[in-house]
Amino acid sequence: MALALQKENENQKNLSYFEVVREHPDVSPLVILKMDVQRRGVHYTKNALSVVDESVHQLRSPYIFGSRDAQIKPVPESLLLPDGTSIIVDPTPLEQNPYIVDVIDGQLVLTDRGEILETVEYWPKPDFYDKRTSSGVLMSHIVSARPQRLNIFQSGFCHFWANDKGCRYCDIVNHFKQQRAELGIPAKLNPQDVFETVREALKQPGRFTGVCLTSGSDTRGAEPFDQEVDFYIEILQAIGANFKVKKFPSQLIASAFTEKQLTRLYEETGLTSYTADLEVLHEELFNWICPGKAEWIGYREWKNRLIRAVDIFGRGNVSTGIVGGVETAKPKGFTSEEAALQSTLTEAEDLISQGVNVAFIVWVPRPGSYFRDQKNPSLDYFVRLAKGLHQLRVKYGLPIDFDDYRRCGNHPDTDLSRLL
Amino acid sequence: MSIIFSKELVELFAKKDTVKVLATTDAKGMPHVVVKESLQLNESNQLIYFELLESSQTNKNMVHSIWFNRPVAVALIGTGGESYQIKGKPVKSIVSGLLFRDYYVKIREQLGDVDLAAVWVIEPVEVIDQRFNIRSREEEIRHPYFKHLDRLAK
Repeated sequence: MALALQKENENQKNLSYFEVVREHPDVSPLVILKMDVQRRGVHYTKNALSVVDESVHQLRSPYIFGSRDAQIKPVPESLLLPDGTSIIVDPTPLEQNPYIVDVIDGQLVLTDRGEILETVEYWPKPDFYDKRTSSGVLMSHIVSARPQRLNIFQSGFCHFWANDKGCRYCDIVNHFKQQRAELGIPAKLNPQDVFETVREALKQPGRFTGVCLTSGSDTRGAEPFDQEVDFYIEILQAIGANFKVKKFPSQLIASAFTEKQLTRLYEETGLTSYTADLEVLHEELFNWICPGKAEWIGYREWKNRLIRAVDIFGRGNVSTGIVGGVETAKPKGFTSEEAALQSTLTEAEDLISQGVNVAFIVWVPRPGSYFRDQKNPSLDYFVRLAKGLHQLRVKYGLPIDFDDYRRCGNHPDTDLSRLL
Repeated sequence: MSIIFSKELVELFAKKDTVKVLATTDAKGMPHVVVKESLQLNESNQLIYFELLESSQTNKNMVHSIWFNRPVAVALIGTGGESYQIKGKPVKSIVSGLLFRDYYVKIREQLGDVDLAAVWVIEPVEVIDQRFNIRSREEEIRHPYFKHLDRLAK
């Protein structure tokens, strides 16, 4: 017992990157670095910004969530590591102790306390970014890019926020309002604009391997969420008109729909995979952290709908996302990282054993969210979470191709699947 | 210090009829050896090859190598009896960007409707001339006892 407590205290001591790498010799140091960079954020030095070439590098484009400095600035979108791993990370105030992106000896590098950790690259800019649709909208405001995927955020509003029941870690509506005010981002996408932008994006050879759609939840309709489903179908059909095959590699991250709604999505569109984020794998914490999801669907029904979705989309094509670390949020979250990890992985196993994948993103307490003043867990915690989820996938032989390092790039645990 | 390749080796890489083999290992040390016709030198004297299959064992092993600093080996065999082994370490997996695009277009022009998962960059750390007459001379000097006596008899 004493040993366990001592181990737990050690784990929560915030070991350095190098100490964590030594603790986990079986986990890629590059993926560990990615997790720590996402956990702490980055700051770009003047030298780092001076080598940005707007014709070659992708600058920050509309995104569903805001950045840690709550600003919309023309800084690099994000970073690539030498093994092709994406780091999806945003600028962070220096007082929060972020990693530093700098230029040293002519190379763009990630540094921490003056020590060079790795060379990095800025994300390449897609060819379509400066073009406009026939309605005159800048295509980068319609579809945004990751190194190998197209992101379509068709609506920046989440109806859970209407009665103050938005997820507590989330800043979607505040960020949407900021983007609309500062950049003129459309409140809701026009399917024709989406069609034209995807058509243009596909002209670039070798750039994109998948399409991902997501937005805030829309509870309206004859049955709850019918309007959300209708709009996704409309957009997916507009995207699909660009392909010579019915099904194209794609992911929808949406509310937990009924079988009837999911069947419509599967049969009426080219969609190949479906994700409905539980966000936190613990019923009481879910009720506290995601009150809108709890009110409209509930934790158990959300899980049931995910499991039923496997029958429609097939094994290996359904997942739930979690905000890794939010289970330790104060005051109701776990106070022990060990207990949080054990609880999360136990529940993850229940889902994975039934064909529903679980993938996490690193929780970043964003300034536009209810949890803005909180602190995310230790790096060691995230490494153990990534390892635990990866091991469960191995145990149950459940592939995650649709949401891996290439088709997403935001889940450290699925980065590890490159070896499977 | 970077490896300087001989003129003969550079030419061997460029010849179409040179057999080029890449050997990798997985996380458990299981070897995996395949012919990679696309193995070539880039402008920085590094080895590159085109990985067409994202889920191939070679690609997984290359990821493992770059993550855990594990070496790989390349063998080149020419029609004129040339034979070289190059040991190296994967240092980069090009999966996006202008260079990737150029390679993607080039490989599809060559092979038709194929995909390109990555262009792997291998930093050479050692070059060994594997021709038998060279190797046997080296070993005789290093290990003069390693021979049968009848070979020395009058």
